[in-house]
Amino acid sequence: MSDDMTRRGALAKAARGAAALALGGAAFHLVRKAEGQIVWNVDPALCINSRLGETGVEVCGLCTTECVVSQSAVRAVNEFSKCGRCNICPAYFNVTSAVNEKGLPSEKLCPRDAIERKPIGEVDPDDPANNFYEYVIDEIKCDGCGKCVMACKEPLGLGSIQLRVRHSLCVDCNRCAISIACPKDAIEHVPSERAFDHVQLGSHP
Amino acid sequence: MQYSQVQLLAGKGPEDDRFSAALRGVAVDRRDSVYAAGDREIKVFDDAGRLRRRWSTAKPGLAVAISGDGRVFVGQAGQVEIFDSTGRPSGTWRDEQRLGLVTAIGFSKAHVFLADARDRCIRRYDAGGKHLNDIGKDNRMKGFLIPNGVVDFGVDAKGTLHVANPGKHRVERYTPEGELLGHFGRFDGRDPAGFSGCCNPTNVAVTDGARVWVTEKAGPRAKVYDSGGKLMAVIAAGVFDPNCKNMSIAAGSRGRVYVADTVKLQIFVFEPRAEEAGAA
Repeated sequence: MSDDMTRRGALAKAARGAAALALGGAAFHLVRKAEGQIVWNVDPALCINSRLGETGVEVCGLCTTECVVSQSAVRAVNEFSKCGRCNICPAYFNVTSAVNEKGLPSEKLCPRDAIERKPIGEVDPDDPANNFYEYVIDEIKCDGCGKCVMACKEPLGLGSIQLRVRHSLCVDCNRCAISIACPKDAIEHVPSERAFDHVQLGSHP
Repeated sequence: MQYSQVQLLAGKGPEDDRFSAALRGVAVDRRDSVYAAGDREIKVFDDAGRLRRRWSTAKPGLAVAISGDGRVFVGQAGQVEIFDSTGRPSGTWRDEQRLGLVTAIGFSKAHVFLADARDRCIRRYDAGGKHLNDIGKDNRMKGFLIPNGVVDFGVDAKGTLHVANPGKHRVERYTPEGELLGHFGRFDGRDPAGFSGCCNPTNVAVTDGARVWVTEKAGPRAKVYDSGGKLMAVIAAGVFDPNCKNMSIAAGSRGRVYVADTVKLQIFVFEPRAEEAGAA
């Protein structure tokens, strides 16, 4: 093998190596960017609908009315691991409505009927209170009005329902219209891995 | 029947007669001295509302009760600490398995009853601390329904237990052996005779069994029923912090009722109005 051929082979190897390095670097940069993407997020500790200590105040519906997406990108989510699975859930029922013949509140709370109440296991025919119930929010129907969030909050409930920005629906405005309107600065810009949308939701056993 | 507020004990603050962070339990002895469990202390007030004694507990107290012989039992996580009436330690019952969170304590002539909120039931022990049986476990739900996180009960003069089952909006009566004798209560968010919200009543107290005193959360209020479940009076509503829940309640002589506000860290004392005190 001549010196010329050896030199050419070495140059080709070096070029391939440089190209691989460049591609790898670009891919690494892209991955890093995705991981570090800044997204909009609702901080439940600031949101007036969910933060503790706020009782006797009106429900804030700005996430519904201010979002530029036609049906807000903010939705209510029930974190099952915190849910009390009550027979009479104050987020599902309007607990101040008249009692019906079954001994339950006669009205539902959600104006879009977006919460489904399902018994866990078989209902005791002699005593329906003798059961746990699962409350599942239909996010297709929900528009993030926050009524269930406020009703679920301590001390009335356990705070298992909170508002979340659904990033599959959010259009990532530079300045979120809800954040401009929010009186409590509860809409924050955070790295995607810190956003509550990433919290894993379980299901009832 | 109507009640008036006659005293206000403790409160939030650094002073000896106040609590800094928590007020969990209240009990009354035969002389109407008031025992309050909060932070990591027991504070004892006389019937005029003056602080008489205070002493530390090993862990934060979740409940306090006075036995027939005047000993002070303090429910804690994993144990019950026992003191004599002056606050000198006289023993600790430890049982990590059966005493997860002791949120209520009661006595009959021969037995001690301890509520374990972690296992959603009540344990019966003999006077020496030997476990005998559980109450409230032998049902479809395998315990009381307590989204509020506290099991509370009272024991009447006949030894019958009156237990708050808030998820069912009921007060249930049990024998010491655990047999369900009956219950009263129903959900109603409008009629004060019913129990409101997701889960009420949260706390209960009895003396001779003729009266059952309860507290509710959201909105917090105290009420009294007769033994058949007929509402006799709304003792107080609107005076407690709207965020408080699991308000311990106790009844003393003269019909006095003591309610612990868990946010203001105050003990509200109510008394039937003069013309009705005889009836109470």
